[in-house]
Amino acid sequence: MNVIDCQKVSKDFRRTNALEDITFQLTEQKITGLIGRNGAGKTTLLKILAGLTKHRSGEVNVFGKSPYNNLMVSENSILVDDQMTFPDSLTLEEVLQSAPAFYKRWDTEFASRLFQYFKLNPKQQHSKLSKGAKATFNMIFGLSTRCELTMFDEPTNGMDEAVRSDFYRALLKDYIAHPRSILISSHHLAEIEQLLEDILLIHKGRVVLHQSLDEVKEYAVAVQGLIADVERWTVGEEIIHSKRIDDQRLYVVVKNNSKLERARIEGASIQTLAASEVCMYVTSETKGGIDDVFK
Amino acid sequence: MILNTDSTKPIYVQIAEWLENEVIAERFKDDEKVYSQYQLADLFNINPATAAKGLTILVEEKILYKKRGLGMFVAPEAKTMILEKRRNETLTKMVKDIVLEAKRLSVTKEELIQLIHNCEEEI
Repeated sequence: MNVIDCQKVSKDFRRTNALEDITFQLTEQKITGLIGRNGAGKTTLLKILAGLTKHRSGEVNVFGKSPYNNLMVSENSILVDDQMTFPDSLTLEEVLQSAPAFYKRWDTEFASRLFQYFKLNPKQQHSKLSKGAKATFNMIFGLSTRCELTMFDEPTNGMDEAVRSDFYRALLKDYIAHPRSILISSHHLAEIEQLLEDILLIHKGRVVLHQSLDEVKEYAVAVQGLIADVERWTVGEEIIHSKRIDDQRLYVVVKNNSKLERARIEGASIQTLAASEVCMYVTSETKGGIDDVFK
Repeated sequence: MILNTDSTKPIYVQIAEWLENEVIAERFKDDEKVYSQYQLADLFNINPATAAKGLTILVEEKILYKKRGLGMFVAPEAKTMILEKRRNETLTKMVKDIVLEAKRLSVTKEELIQLIHNCEEEI
């Protein structure tokens, strides 16, 4: 069953398009990375899925229902981001105590163990927390809901290195014990890559790639060598990125294809790329990157 | 357990190779149960689907076999099969790389063979 089904979803703010014709499905119990550059539309998409914003056109279904103003969807999903607010009249301890009333799969024991591990103060108010402590609390809350669809929007913003790696580990261990659909956005793919099964890459409000992590890795390769050689090896291929190393040599990122094996035998240096590099090149504005500015 | 995440080798391949090394070292013996995809995911801090892919490779190569509902087990003769495979595939590929590099450096066949002899003596 599809947990999320988006068909040609669009959304605009005044005159700028935030999302354009977003179409994808998310099948059950996978960890998917929502990847994109700043302003790609990640947050807007997550807010629509969580039912916090309305889209303009197209169709959005979460658990087969339109998420906007839908109780069933909000009971079974959560969006963890830095805009989460909790009533100031409650201490953190009380927030955790009231949670089971809203989330039927809430794990009280797990929540308090995480709370103690990260050494948060139970008597404090949410609005008084530092940026890092707030991110930590929100993450604890999000994990403990055990929601069928758990979404994180840049969850590690503000967390220090140690908390980050603890969070990723906790997310993975809890997912193994209680499989559920997890959608996690980040502009640091390299950091979360190991946890992911699939990648949903969006750029300028559109879906660019939606594949397994390994398929993304194999999507493109880098070829380098003398200009004439590289041009001959990559003729007719889809060039994603190209950069002059010096006046004789060229570095080109092309879509992977079987013809490149021939080039390798002829002495081409062909390197595989990390998934984060593939995503970066696929979504770069100019073919030459920042170096073009200095030409 | 730490994986090389910067490696050009996909993680699932690294998992399969790690399991093979465990079989070669006889930490997993014939007909013994190996780690499940979830145990591997926990051990290496990776997605269980990636771990499953590593196991699947070994099942396809008949190094492991599946027992419904019980898990994955080391096939009899697995160690011999792995050693055989490594000899055929890994070594052939390495030799190919060496020959290509030698060509680039205009090292002759005789010189290359001499290098191998020297190396053998050193070891």
